[in-house]
Amino acid sequence: MRRHTLYIAIMLWLAILAGLKFGVRPPMPASVLMIYMTLSTIAIILFAAADEARFQAFLAPLRAVFEGRAPKAVQLLVLAGIPLLAGWGAWLRTAPSWDAPFEPRVVHPEPPSTFNFHGKRIDTASLKNPLRAAHEKDPAQLEKLTAEGKTIYYQNCFFCHGDALAGDGHFANAFSPIPANFRDVGTISMLQESFVFWRVSTGGPGLPRAATPWLSAMPVWQNFLTEDEIWKAILYIYAGSGSTPRTWDEETKHEKH
Amino acid sequence: MKSTDFLGMICALAFCASALAADAPKLKTEPVKPTPVAADLDAGKKLYQRWCAQCHGNEGKGDGPAADFVYPRPRDFTLAIFKVRTTPSGQLPTDHDLFHIISEGLPGTSMPAWKKFIPENERWQLVHYVKTFDSLGLFKEEPAKEQVVIDAAPKMTPELIAKGKELYQQKKCWQCHGPTGRGDGPSSAGMKDEWGFPIRPVNFTKSWRFRGGDRIEDIYRTFTTGFNGTPMPSFVDAIPAAEDRWALAAFVKSLARPQKNAQVLKAGNIAGEIPADPYAKEWEAAEFADFPLAGQIILEPRWFKPVHDVITARALYNDKEIAILLEWDDGTNNTGIGKPADEVALQMPVQASDGVKPYFILGDDKHAVDVWRWSAKDGLQRYTAEGASKQTPREAGGVVAQGGYKEGQYRVILRRPLRVGAGETAIEPGRFVPIAFQLRDGDNGEEGLKMSLSTWYYLLPQPATPLTVVLWPLGIGFLTLGGEFWLLRRMRRRPS
Repeated sequence: MRRHTLYIAIMLWLAILAGLKFGVRPPMPASVLMIYMTLSTIAIILFAAADEARFQAFLAPLRAVFEGRAPKAVQLLVLAGIPLLAGWGAWLRTAPSWDAPFEPRVVHPEPPSTFNFHGKRIDTASLKNPLRAAHEKDPAQLEKLTAEGKTIYYQNCFFCHGDALAGDGHFANAFSPIPANFRDVGTISMLQESFVFWRVSTGGPGLPRAATPWLSAMPVWQNFLTEDEIWKAILYIYAGSGSTPRTWDEETKHEKH
Repeated sequence: MKSTDFLGMICALAFCASALAADAPKLKTEPVKPTPVAADLDAGKKLYQRWCAQCHGNEGKGDGPAADFVYPRPRDFTLAIFKVRTTPSGQLPTDHDLFHIISEGLPGTSMPAWKKFIPENERWQLVHYVKTFDSLGLFKEEPAKEQVVIDAAPKMTPELIAKGKELYQQKKCWQCHGPTGRGDGPSSAGMKDEWGFPIRPVNFTKSWRFRGGDRIEDIYRTFTTGFNGTPMPSFVDAIPAAEDRWALAAFVKSLARPQKNAQVLKAGNIAGEIPADPYAKEWEAAEFADFPLAGQIILEPRWFKPVHDVITARALYNDKEIAILLEWDDGTNNTGIGKPADEVALQMPVQASDGVKPYFILGDDKHAVDVWRWSAKDGLQRYTAEGASKQTPREAGGVVAQGGYKEGQYRVILRRPLRVGAGETAIEPGRFVPIAFQLRDGDNGEEGLKMSLSTWYYLLPQPATPLTVVLWPLGIGFLTLGGEFWLLRRMRRRPS
């Protein structure tokens, strides 16, 4: 066992690299991976060096190569391999990638305190979904409005946001960033309806500069839809993606069995 | 549907059935596999209304609220005609076939792969429920009993593909699908499906749109069973030997390449002239990138059913000029007679970017875009656009267009001198220039804002790789090597 210390160390190192690179989803940034791998390298060497006998065993194969006791082919392989690896590592750092310029983007920017809707000023902070508020105690009516919202969704939104509201409609891959996935916990389920209403009404052009408005292909929906229609569509995207199960109790229960 | 059509269809079905009976020995079949989940129609109905009715309609007539906004139209289930099946031509699909379609979706349409969203058990309930729309009672009276055996696919060898190519000629696949497989054959125009809706032969180079899937087994299955309700017949009679159909499938598979999407269109540097012939070897050698397109549904008139879903671009530059080659497949060459002319446009900001790009559809009042539009009728026209409603024609300046239509494909080169005066976008090595693409298919009535378009990408004239980029790795490599030799000499001299 001890004879193989160096090989075990190398395999362990490769296993950690593979685990971090392919086992973690979504993939971690290269800089974070670099930090983890540096720590792993130090840890492995420290562990090998902690015990004198183990450290000697760890060095033995290298010593055999450098002292010329290892077979000629192995000597050649190791002695040529180390500079090549070092050179390759340097190449990975210096090679030009010609990737697109990095455009930092705030995904859910702070909405403005007021915005224009059909010529009137709307105060974002006090904005509530009037349909939900008015019919809170009437699930049947709310369900009817949601069904109307569903029709609006499938005549306006589903091309991009998808049949199953997962941001993967048949036009979705033409856009970067891709359309929002309403099933994702990071989208509408963490946003207030007032925010969603602002995003829908003013679209990409309504975004503040920090959110790089020119990247979003979201239309300005107040150009096509009435206030009521937008609220209905919002009712549907919550209900359809399972974000407000209380109004669609029956359906969501059904989905789970 | 008119009753005469209806009768015609019944006759056609009967004819197919009898033809099949006669040719039965040719086709290897096996009994249909049992359906693993029993029907619960109430559950099926609820699921259907939640996930399917928006397109296929509450009564399964393919007339849901979204039906008018998608192409191809959603399936009308009442006639029980289905394309993707493992059963002989003209027959009903098996339950497993319907399950397969619901699970995998239909590529190139708005039917998604529902396996991502609906559990298996519930997809089986949808299979049962969809069958209840069959107005003729066919699923009860003559359900499929036998399904086609699809053996293991042979290896795709050059010989097999060559044999398939010969069959493609011989069996006249090109009449619809075109000599190069781009769906531009002489009989391709004006085709209709069983419901009278226009239908076009598939473009074999766009395998991501193959309705039944693009594995060689899928293509083989389509040849063998045909697409019911469409002009695509079964080729069992015309090509009886299974190995020949495999050869044809291999050939069709060989025509496609996967899409290669990129954020940056890199222009390579070449020493001499940039060829004016888009088929020149310099262009063939240039790196290409595919840019996916979507319908323009943001400004009126909104365009939900575009034909084009991708444009391919290459770019080259030398010390004098930059040229961009745009390629797109089009089954019809419309030059503006009777229908609008086919058009392509390239757009870039007029001003060097101050971090803010113009609005991606033809710019905005603060940020103008330079539009190079080429039409199959009038050639190049150049515009400055400050929004869709404010497009001003301008002199072509140094911009030149070359190219045209050949074998189901447009190839158009747009070129411009690198050094230009004020009012022109600066294009120089190492600078990222935002670009966006627009395509219009005249045959589909596309003109003006009725078009496919992309959002912003980048054009980059790729600078020559600086020497330091190579020197660093070389230096570090040699330094390590030197260190090794030092260690080596030290360790070999010392008695161990």
